[in-house]
Amino acid sequence: MSLRIFLSLFFLSNVFASYKYETILEDLDDAWSFVFLDEETILYTELPGNLKIVNLVDKTITDISNPPVVHYASQGGLSEVILDPKFELNRKIYLSYSAKDKNNKSTLFLSSAELIDNSLKNIKVIFEANAPRRTSVHLGAKIAFMKDGTLLLNSGDGFDHREKAQYLDNHFGKIIRINSDGSIPKDNPFINVEGALPEIYSYGHRNMQGLVITSSGDVYEHEHGPKGGDEMNLIEPSLNYGWPAITYGIDYSGAVISPFTEKEGMEQPLLHWTPSIAPSDMVYYEQDSYPELTNTFLVTALVSKDVKKVRFNNNTNYQESLFSELNQRLRNIEVSPGGIIYLLTDGPGGKLIKVLPEER
Amino acid sequence: MKLTKNIFAVFAASLFTVLLITPITSISNLLWLSSVDMPITLWSSFEVILFDFQRLGMPLFVVFTIAFILAFSVAGLISKYTNYGGKYLYALAGAVAIGFALILMVELLFQTQLLGGNRSLTGKILHWVAGFCGGYFFYNLFSVDRTYTFIVRFFGIFYAYLLLGFVLNWIFTPAIAAAEFGFILDQLSDDAQNALLRDFTSFFVATFLFSILGAITLNPTWFFSAGVIYYGAAIFNLTAIYVHGTPYNKIYIGEIILGTLPTLLALTILYKNRTQKKHE
Repeated sequence: MSLRIFLSLFFLSNVFASYKYETILEDLDDAWSFVFLDEETILYTELPGNLKIVNLVDKTITDISNPPVVHYASQGGLSEVILDPKFELNRKIYLSYSAKDKNNKSTLFLSSAELIDNSLKNIKVIFEANAPRRTSVHLGAKIAFMKDGTLLLNSGDGFDHREKAQYLDNHFGKIIRINSDGSIPKDNPFINVEGALPEIYSYGHRNMQGLVITSSGDVYEHEHGPKGGDEMNLIEPSLNYGWPAITYGIDYSGAVISPFTEKEGMEQPLLHWTPSIAPSDMVYYEQDSYPELTNTFLVTALVSKDVKKVRFNNNTNYQESLFSELNQRLRNIEVSPGGIIYLLTDGPGGKLIKVLPEER
Repeated sequence: MKLTKNIFAVFAASLFTVLLITPITSISNLLWLSSVDMPITLWSSFEVILFDFQRLGMPLFVVFTIAFILAFSVAGLISKYTNYGGKYLYALAGAVAIGFALILMVELLFQTQLLGGNRSLTGKILHWVAGFCGGYFFYNLFSVDRTYTFIVRFFGIFYAYLLLGFVLNWIFTPAIAAAEFGFILDQLSDDAQNALLRDFTSFFVATFLFSILGAITLNPTWFFSAGVIYYGAAIFNLTAIYVHGTPYNKIYIGEIILGTLPTLLALTILYKNRTQKKHE
């Protein structure tokens, strides 16, 4: 009976949910991520290496000078930007990007910098992934602050190096945990394991592009599968999430990656999407501007061109497709301090779209 | 006839090379899985190798056919205008074709190595060797006079190769196979699951075997049998739509195509047999 009431309320609440959209910006050059400085101002990245500030009211765009030099190719470039939790005091931001290492291979970098007078000062590389690759693909590159002030960074499997996601002597297919100055937290799970890199927090990942820490401190991640097998996981330290030894997908070529979908000692996803939706970003919506979305995960998708609203209840996931009428490959989603959802579309000619709940 | 024969010799060499190459990726993958203590068995190995032959093999067949057409044409010109020629020239052309095709797939198309078995030096050498064998096979096909039966046999085997995907899906991953036909397997009753799995698997395995047997024996009855089954499926699909009121679908088009090919093969064999008897 309670299930029936729950389902009735669930569907009823969504029957009346429709949204209006306002295109704030157009013709963005491979914009990849953005963050709110305040309700009216965002800072956003473009893969070619541009960092810009936008006033959302008068729509003026200002270039930030002195961004890090990036290796812009394929999926690589200037990726994620986030603010320090004490940004108001220290003006610090964090940027992930692909750049060439000393051997001229592309890898993932994380830098901190101070945003002062539309320029980056005191840029410091705080992490360089031991994940060199010929082609700048499957970088991951999402960053998030944990409740204890440490930073998590997704470091993808590099595609050609997928098997290395199962070994702890490299940063392919790992979630990295470091302090905001680049030092290594003393309670990292593999810090005392011989042969393991001490920054590793969890392993066995593919190309992770969603990383969320809820107000309760739980860490959720999603990752692109190959053909099928996109996953959403609850991340715990030291755990092995199985890629590529277990997977629900097959290779792009059609080849079998693994005939196995589970094994003891390897974590099962909270959910998997087969066929793939290509999840690109995620927020956990905890505000109330859209009551039907409160306390749900919102996952942007490139292939299904929508946002998946995901809710978990007793190990069962409930999903709903939102914003599909936009018919856009969605790259990023953020929530303003006031609880308004903004979407970033993918690729050259991208748009920043504001989602307004319709008057009810 | 000669040109047609040469084209089908390329197709056959390409399929033969696919047969040699796809296990390289399968086995390299299985070896790695085994190295991380995944419980690889003979059955799971068999599953991986067969799936790779069918699913990975399809796009490779197209790529290799294009590469072979170019390489064997050049080999033909060299053979015609110089003193060089023979089976080793074509074998070498095959190796070069596969080597270049695999390099260009990375450099021009994907920028990543899609073929897992081609990531190591050993794997690369094995791919070139497979190309060499493919070229050698091609020479053996086109250098000997062949009748129409060569083309019929190729089509029979290629038809079976297409059906192999259905066969493998129903045997190894029935839930996925069922989903492709609109069934959610675990929501069916036990009896319904059993009926679905046994009937669909039997349907595809039978037509697969009919085609293989037709290609081997050149007995038109085998091909007719496959044709009758798929034409039947198309007719009763339309009956279900227009007589019993099920929703319209376009699956009958695929069923007609799958019925037509073996029927044409059977008719060709009958026609040729009759013509031969007249000449006798």
